[in-house]
Amino acid sequence: MNNKKILLPAFIVLILAQLFVPAKMILDNENTLNTGIEYKFKVAPIDPTDPFRGKYITLFYDENTRTFQNEEDWKIDDEVYVLLTTDSAGFAKIKSLSKEKPVDNEDFVKATVGLILEDDKKIMIDFPFKRFYMEESKAYEAELLYDEIVQDSSQIAYTLVSVKNGNAVLKDVLINEVSIVDLVKNNRKK
Amino acid sequence: MSLQKDVSELVKANIITTETADKILAFYSAKNSSSNNRLFTAFAMLGAILVGLGIILIIAHNWDEFSRSSKTLFAFLPILIGQIFCSYTLLKNQNNTAWSESSCAFLFFAVGASISLVSQIYNIPGDVGSFMLTWMLLCLPLVYIFNSSITSLLYIIGITYYAVNLGYWSYKSAEPYLYWILLFGVLPHYYHIFKNKPESNFMVYHNWLLPVSIIISLGTVAEKTEEWMFVAYISLFGLFCLIGEVDFFSKQKLKNNAFSVLGSFGTISLLLALSFDWFWEELTRNYFSIDEFISEPEFYDALVISLIAGFLFYTQNKNKSLKDIKPSAIVFILFIILFILGHISSISLVLINLLVLGIGISTIKNGAKMNSLGILNYGLLIIAALVICRFFDSHLSFVIRGLMFVMVGAGFFATNYWMLKKRKTNE
Repeated sequence: MNNKKILLPAFIVLILAQLFVPAKMILDNENTLNTGIEYKFKVAPIDPTDPFRGKYITLFYDENTRTFQNEEDWKIDDEVYVLLTTDSAGFAKIKSLSKEKPVDNEDFVKATVGLILEDDKKIMIDFPFKRFYMEESKAYEAELLYDEIVQDSSQIAYTLVSVKNGNAVLKDVLINEVSIVDLVKNNRKK
Repeated sequence: MSLQKDVSELVKANIITTETADKILAFYSAKNSSSNNRLFTAFAMLGAILVGLGIILIIAHNWDEFSRSSKTLFAFLPILIGQIFCSYTLLKNQNNTAWSESSCAFLFFAVGASISLVSQIYNIPGDVGSFMLTWMLLCLPLVYIFNSSITSLLYIIGITYYAVNLGYWSYKSAEPYLYWILLFGVLPHYYHIFKNKPESNFMVYHNWLLPVSIIISLGTVAEKTEEWMFVAYISLFGLFCLIGEVDFFSKQKLKNNAFSVLGSFGTISLLLALSFDWFWEELTRNYFSIDEFISEPEFYDALVISLIAGFLFYTQNKNKSLKDIKPSAIVFILFIILFILGHISSISLVLINLLVLGIGISTIKNGAKMNSLGILNYGLLIIAALVICRFFDSHLSFVIRGLMFVMVGAGFFATNYWMLKKRKTNE
């Protein structure tokens, strides 16, 4: 295949495709961040037996279970559309679950079924915004700080998520209205 | 310097003319400078890599200080740099293998790095399956545009990881049928190397990587009737043995003949595992009706591979008499018969052991005929492995197990001694 007449156009198409993929990811997420509705999801303490995973902190959510009628309807790893609303304190709450994409103008997030608790007839939702990437040296300190603070119920910890058309983009993790990144920096100065 | 002295000596003794002497000195001086150039290139590349890594580390340390738009710009940088190198290669250095291979390898990793970086910037969760698929599809064309064998090898590793992740590691254990289509994507390049650079190292690497990838990924087809996967694997190893006997492969050194090595080793390992009674007891217990197993993908998998192997067996051996047919070629056919028999009778267990023993003996005979200590001892090792496996069977008494060990040990001594003596008398 030495013919430049074929190779050059083929290569141009390829480089455009290679640039298109990350560009589309950026555009979709920027669109959600700029024009989506912000929801605050209250976070739950991390499982202390989980090993440290690396350059991100793993997030668990308080509001993530729902009762179901028929067990046969749900299987682990199934796609589920979670319709959202807010509670009196302004935090996100699951309004309902649906197997089909909602058609009304409601806010929803595409998630997966994480666990099925047969005895309690409950489903645990695995939200897609469960990892918050941080600069490597800060991630470990953030996870320790997060774990310490979140165990204390007087402290308010939540994630800020932009939601649009089922797409959810995690903006920040806040503890008592301060970003966890700033908390780690302040902690270091002490 | 000593070359100059030697050359002057030869000129003085009228062995060579001054003109020849100058030509010799010019030749060696050019050779040295080209090896100096290669060394310089190697150090330059090392220096460039270290500078690049240093820059990445500095950027990474200050990552939090950058705005989101700066971060997304950085995400594009690796891809853009890789594409610039590849464009330069395509326009100016198309026939330079070093340029093609290194720029394609860089771009391959740059594409993965860019998508990962964007995922991290927006905290997108990791769906490894779709990430690997996108990455591999975006890089496969590089194999053909640049004839890049390194990209082909990396691609094979990538799609194997994709199949393993989807087929074995994810909870749902979906069958990654896409793997097989992706594998076909790289086969034309493999054929191209076979036709144009059959002696090259890339041919050897592909000969090893392709069958290993298939062996690893075949199991992802398994769903419910896993018993048929054993038939599929034995037929696959049989197919590899048959491919290994094709002239092109059989004439190569053993370490380059990956098909023969993997086929033989795979067959023996699997047969030894099946020489225990657990498998055959399961088989007689789980009786499937024909309607049930005909709807399972594992059955079709086994059928397709067996048919391909059968066809190759027929084309290779149709003109040979029964005596000339290599025993390793028919193992898979025998196993299929034993497998079917195993549903209704427990005699298959005994026959499997006899089959392994037969393979061992035939390998020893083969080794003796070819005067190869390696093959002879491989045959003995097969029998020794069989004996060790039977050691763990509680049905046999210690005396019998002891006697078996003694016989195999004596066999090792006797055959090696006989072979070496034969060699000495032939010298």
